[in-house]
Amino acid sequence: MSFIHPLALLGLAAAAIPALLHLLHRRIPPEIDFPPVRYLSVAERESARRLKLRHLLLLIFRTALIVAIVLAAARPLVPLRGGGAHQPTAAVIILDNSPSSGAIVDGGLVLDRLRVAARASVGRTTSADRVWLMLSDGVLRGGSREALLATIDSTRTGWQRLDLVQAVERAARMVNAQPLPGRELHVLSDLQGTALASGHAEVPSGVRVLALAPGRAVANRGIAAVTVSEGAAVIELSGSVVGAAGAPQPVPVTIRIGGGRPNRGEITARGLATPGNDRPGGATRSAVSVSLPAQSLAPGWWVGEAALEPDELRADDRRPFAWRVAPPARVMATSSAGSFVAAALAVLQDGKRIVDGRDVVISGGETPAGSHAIVQPPADPALVGQANRALASRGVPWRWGQLATPGVLTSSELTVLNGVPVVRRYRIEGAGSGEQGAGVLATVNGEPWLVRSGSVVLLGSRLDTAWTALPAAPGFVPFVDALVNRIVMGEAEVAAAEGAPRVEFRMRGADTVGATVFGPDPRESDLTPATPAVVTAALGGKDRAVALNADRFAAERFSGTRRADASGLLLVLALLLAAAELGVATRTR
Amino acid sequence: MAERLDLLDPADVARLGGIEIVAEGIVEGFLAGLHRSPFRGFSVEFTEHRAYQPGDELRYLDWRILGRSDRLFVKQFEEETNLRSMILVDASRSMAWQGAPERLTKRAYADRLAAALALILLRQRDATGLVTFDEQVRQVIPARVKAGQWSRIVRGLLETPDGEGTAAHAALQRLTALLTRRGMVVLLSDLLFDRELALAALRYLRHRGHQVIVFHLMDPAEVELSGPPEVRFKDPESALSVVVRPRELARAYADTVRREIAAWRKACRRHGIAYHHVQTDMPFGLALRLLT
Repeated sequence: MSFIHPLALLGLAAAAIPALLHLLHRRIPPEIDFPPVRYLSVAERESARRLKLRHLLLLIFRTALIVAIVLAAARPLVPLRGGGAHQPTAAVIILDNSPSSGAIVDGGLVLDRLRVAARASVGRTTSADRVWLMLSDGVLRGGSREALLATIDSTRTGWQRLDLVQAVERAARMVNAQPLPGRELHVLSDLQGTALASGHAEVPSGVRVLALAPGRAVANRGIAAVTVSEGAAVIELSGSVVGAAGAPQPVPVTIRIGGGRPNRGEITARGLATPGNDRPGGATRSAVSVSLPAQSLAPGWWVGEAALEPDELRADDRRPFAWRVAPPARVMATSSAGSFVAAALAVLQDGKRIVDGRDVVISGGETPAGSHAIVQPPADPALVGQANRALASRGVPWRWGQLATPGVLTSSELTVLNGVPVVRRYRIEGAGSGEQGAGVLATVNGEPWLVRSGSVVLLGSRLDTAWTALPAAPGFVPFVDALVNRIVMGEAEVAAAEGAPRVEFRMRGADTVGATVFGPDPRESDLTPATPAVVTAALGGKDRAVALNADRFAAERFSGTRRADASGLLLVLALLLAAAELGVATRTR
Repeated sequence: MAERLDLLDPADVARLGGIEIVAEGIVEGFLAGLHRSPFRGFSVEFTEHRAYQPGDELRYLDWRILGRSDRLFVKQFEEETNLRSMILVDASRSMAWQGAPERLTKRAYADRLAAALALILLRQRDATGLVTFDEQVRQVIPARVKAGQWSRIVRGLLETPDGEGTAAHAALQRLTALLTRRGMVVLLSDLLFDRELALAALRYLRHRGHQVIVFHLMDPAEVELSGPPEVRFKDPESALSVVVRPRELARAYADTVRREIAAWRKACRRHGIAYHHVQTDMPFGLALRLLT
């Protein structure tokens, strides 16, 4: 509450007048002889309660009367709910046009619903207000009301994810810096749970955060990422399955390869993904591998696109991907590399995956030679020290340690290794440079088994059935293929970025040195809305933030600063008090 | 036409002169308005004649004497001639109070009423006496009918100063010893004493065969409470005081006074005692008429 004439409040001291008069008046009563005092005593005793009540009521009425008159003179401005003009307000309208706003709910685009609310918020502003519009790009756009309305009208579903917590924090700082009586944030979003998961926004006191409650939740699935490895495309799915009671349904996935890259032609493959309920809140995350056709293993850069069948959110139903197939490596194996390696190289050479040469040397403990080396531990334990010194001289920060316990191979990069037993191995230990963790490619019992340092790859076991079952496993040849063509030669970097789905290649001179795959953030696929409690907690706490349905939102916007002059009401109250005082003073005699 | 003093304002009448003059004036006026004697004896046994006086009832005229001698005589009866009346006047301090300067104090009013009553009784040849009292019995003038009795009574009234507190029941109990012969006892008092104790004494008198008449005297200001917005009222007979706002307590006070009067009236009626409430602005004639 504020006052137009706050100095008039000094008159509140007059509220003490009735009490003071009462006290002062009581102190000096004249004394008069009156024989029938005994009758008076009786009458007073019988009327004591009535008189006390009367005195109390009169004191209250008279004091309240003075207070009401003084307050009326101060012209108080009281907050109003609904109707009336509001005081100048600094407001930021956060219009979430992230990819999830492109979902179709109840036959309409979510963004359309949000735009209507945004237009209404801007429409309620006056020339005394300062208003900004923030889209999912996080940019605060100022301007006239007409300009903001035009921006809202032209807003389309974007490809950038909006972190509502950060957006609200930033907007709150902006409005809090404005010297205006009112400060409000209007959050117009589908309020995805994932958009509020980054913590709790710090909202200054005095800033109201009004969030439009989300509409009906819908199920959605999208492609979170696509990677190509060992001749197969791994498609990771994400999304929310609302009301999907019962068994998970298989999801058809289509892969189209070669589009957009000249001289590649188009190859289409199909596979089925079976989502699992492995995440809370009904969200699913699963992956499926689709074997790529042999044509796609030709050397060079490849571009593909994975697609799901259309659902409520189209933006995440397609995702491009890119990978590079290196030319056949020039490989040589030393005699100590072992017969299994030699056999595998022969197979690869027959398949034109490698050719003779010395670009990659596979050895069995000797000093690494060639530009790229794959080194196994020596068969003779007595040579381990010599081999370690050779590694150190080449600058490799790894060394073989003691023989370690048997175990099973685990690798995220070379899936063919997973589950393969290892019966004999040296513990691969870091040489103290502190950079070893980044080069670990496979582990046994959590300890490094396959590591890479620059152009040298180090194995913990010899590729021999006396050491590991890998040479006898079906994945041995693909493993050696990956080792010589991809692991030791280094892989071209394929980065992922947020944006409209596309692939951009990075060039160095005439060479393509990498690629960036753009697509929507996988978190956008999960359309599960946050609960009101989560919304309130994440956007500033229950004393500052509130999630409201459309009607309540319309009523509450700018209501924090709606004011009305309550002096008239107070004068009416004063009249009522005066009437009540008169009634008590006369009727109770 | 000469005005009847008994019907004038008591204060105006009192300003005419001393208590004797006022009382005589009152009685003359009072008797002129009556066609019979205000009081009768208890018996109808004829004893003697006496000269007719204005106010005597015509039914007691002896028509045979009137026919024979053309003179007016009334018949007297045994008890009537022996009626002994004692007038008890409360002389306590509370009786010396007046609610307004233009009014008589309750004591002054009681004195004049007692004098007038005594004169009427003596003119009827009723033996009349006077007792004044406050906490003690101050004056006792035995009931006589001889000449000069009225002057003695008036002197007794004048010589009794305003007293202190009222302990009427003690004085009344002592009076019972003085009033050995049956008769009429008239009490003039503001009755500001313990009702039950006073009634016990009056009941005793009644039990002894006396006809008891009580005049409850009150100043009009004692009936309707008024005064400054806030005032401390103090009892002149005791240390009792109370601070009140007369305007807000007036109604409750009036109710209390009405209840008190009703309680006295009811208690007196229950015991065969005549009770009359008299305010000091009531003309003396009207007060005397209450006795008829």
